[in-house]
Amino acid sequence: MRTRTLELTVGLFILAGLLALLILALRVSGLTLSTNGDTYTVYAHFDNVSGLTSRSKVTMAGVTIGQVKRITFDKNRYTGLVEMAINSDVDTLPADSTASIVTAGLLGEKYIGISVGGDDLVLGDGDEIVDTQSALVLEELIGRFLLNTVSKDD
Amino acid sequence: MNGVVDRVASLGRIGLDVIAAIGRSGIFLFQALAGRSRYGNGFSLLVKQLYALGVLSLAIIIVSGIFIGMVLALQGYNILKDYGSEQAVGQMVALTLLRELGPVVTALLFAGRAGSALTAEIGLMKATEQLSSLEMIGVDPLKYIIAPRLWAGFIAMPLLALIFCVVGIWGGAMVAVDWLGVYSGSYWANMQNSVQFGADVLNGLIKAVVFAAVVTWIAVFQGYDCEPTSEGISRATTRTVVYASLAVLGLDFILTALMF
Amino acid sequence: MLETDDFIVDLQQVTFRRGERVIFNNVDIRIPRGKITGIMGPSGCGKTTLLRLIGAQLRPESGRILVNGQNIPELGREELFSARQHMGMLFQSGALFTDLNVFENVAFPLRVHTKLPEDMIRDIVLLKLQAVGLRGAIELMPDELSGGMKRRVALARAIALDPELMMYDEPFVGQDPISMGVLVRLIRLLNDALGLTSIVVSHDLAETASIADYLYVVGDGQVLGHGRPDDLMNSDNPRIRQFMQGEPDGPVPFHFPAPDYVDDLLQKERRR
Repeated sequence: MRTRTLELTVGLFILAGLLALLILALRVSGLTLSTNGDTYTVYAHFDNVSGLTSRSKVTMAGVTIGQVKRITFDKNRYTGLVEMAINSDVDTLPADSTASIVTAGLLGEKYIGISVGGDDLVLGDGDEIVDTQSALVLEELIGRFLLNTVSKDD
Repeated sequence: MNGVVDRVASLGRIGLDVIAAIGRSGIFLFQALAGRSRYGNGFSLLVKQLYALGVLSLAIIIVSGIFIGMVLALQGYNILKDYGSEQAVGQMVALTLLRELGPVVTALLFAGRAGSALTAEIGLMKATEQLSSLEMIGVDPLKYIIAPRLWAGFIAMPLLALIFCVVGIWGGAMVAVDWLGVYSGSYWANMQNSVQFGADVLNGLIKAVVFAAVVTWIAVFQGYDCEPTSEGISRATTRTVVYASLAVLGLDFILTALMF
Repeated sequence: MLETDDFIVDLQQVTFRRGERVIFNNVDIRIPRGKITGIMGPSGCGKTTLLRLIGAQLRPESGRILVNGQNIPELGREELFSARQHMGMLFQSGALFTDLNVFENVAFPLRVHTKLPEDMIRDIVLLKLQAVGLRGAIELMPDELSGGMKRRVALARAIALDPELMMYDEPFVGQDPISMGVLVRLIRLLNDALGLTSIVVSHDLAETASIADYLYVVGDGQVLGHGRPDDLMNSDNPRIRQFMQGEPDGPVPFHFPAPDYVDDLLQKERRR
């Protein structure tokens, strides 16, 4: 086989491999090339973030407006601190909006839903959503249900 | 009584032989990779081997990838249907391929196709005294013949594994979206949400690199170490496929335990 | 004994073992310069091993192997590289590189050891191929050549660098009479024309004795005898005699060790 053709085919092969890596990175794994300029950061404390993970969706009215960037434990307030990246063009979130951790479907994954408040002030980069609703944990629900039935009998 | 002692002794001898072979192969690997060949354009030798090992394996990798992706989608759909979670088929296909099947199946196919070819080629060179001739002329066969093949294997197989995953996911999409009616948006969106580049794609790639090293090393060593007769070569070729496959499966377990 | 003190290769007290088998036990072999020396012996006696020891592919357990005064096993990598430039070896199977054509095969040693320009390399390759009668085959690939032709190309490759020492490993095995004749003639011709020293390892008595100036007969890890072919033919040593005369029975027995013949037959009868 001629050297030139050989080199060309090998070159194409290597390119195909690298292209495959690129496809896997961008189309399959959802790695985004967005820079920080496209989003701004909003914080929220939750008593219980169970089930929520980084890269979970942040939605409003059912529309995805951002992503959870990081979840850390706040040592001082004993809560979970969720750091969200909200798309920069969604810049009219009232300061008293509520952030709840909700489940997609009955056994689906957790995501954050933001309900609109009424304040004139809007959230900016680094602001915190104060009104939060934690994730519903199945055991607590059952416990509450049992407690209710017991107290009703009294 | 003597029979038992003899059998234990022969087991011990086999064990020592195995350890000696592993030692030989380690020295062999080191000598092949350390330093460059005195003669010969290393780059063009590498390119030739990349063609022989990589490009020529594309056919079997792509065809197998597509079929495995399609089967995964089909079976996955059937199983997820019972839980009402058909939309998760996309992430199932992707995760299975990226984490496990991509690296492992590629490595097994590579061992069978490219590995056995390597062993036979090198074994034949040994049997026809080409390796000795090189030595007598003053060229170290480890650096001139073996090293380009090793490096080509290390580079080509991970690339093949990546291509395998991509065509597999695409094959799965064909079955799931076009045939089974899963909504195309769910297939890809769910996949993108659950597949993480670092944890899944890169870990799978690391596996592929490790497998590539082990398979190529075994293939090349078996060829170099074989008895220079036609039976010796055929035995060595069989050994390559068997040992390489076992090694890949064993390492897969260890790596999976470490990574996931 | 040849009247010369000039030995290009001098093996002194060389011992070589393979596993537990002793291949050579304290042997002394001296190869006179400029002559064809044959090394003969029964199969498996280590003749090929001898060539590999001289060519530094194997190292002896003890003893010295002097080639042109240098002790081969002790040479460093660079020195060995230049020493190999002066040795040519023709392997039993020719051992041409199957992925290169005839021209590239013969040019290979030139490219490894020299930085000669392409046209000079071409001239030399043509010269060498002309010497072995295969200049016309210059573009062919090894698998297009017959066995005898392969060996001749390998010979051209072995003399490409004009070595001082040529080693032939079983050159006559499996050759038809014409190829045999060609090879015999070439070995003699090249040796005399190029002033080489040739070592021919073979168990083919007739051909080797016809061109060798001197013979060594090796067996059982030792040198059984050495001398001019005519002298050895008339030797008193029974082992040399058996080998040179081709006698089926003698020090190397005809019968594989077995129990007594009569007992063997009788036992079989009884068991039935």
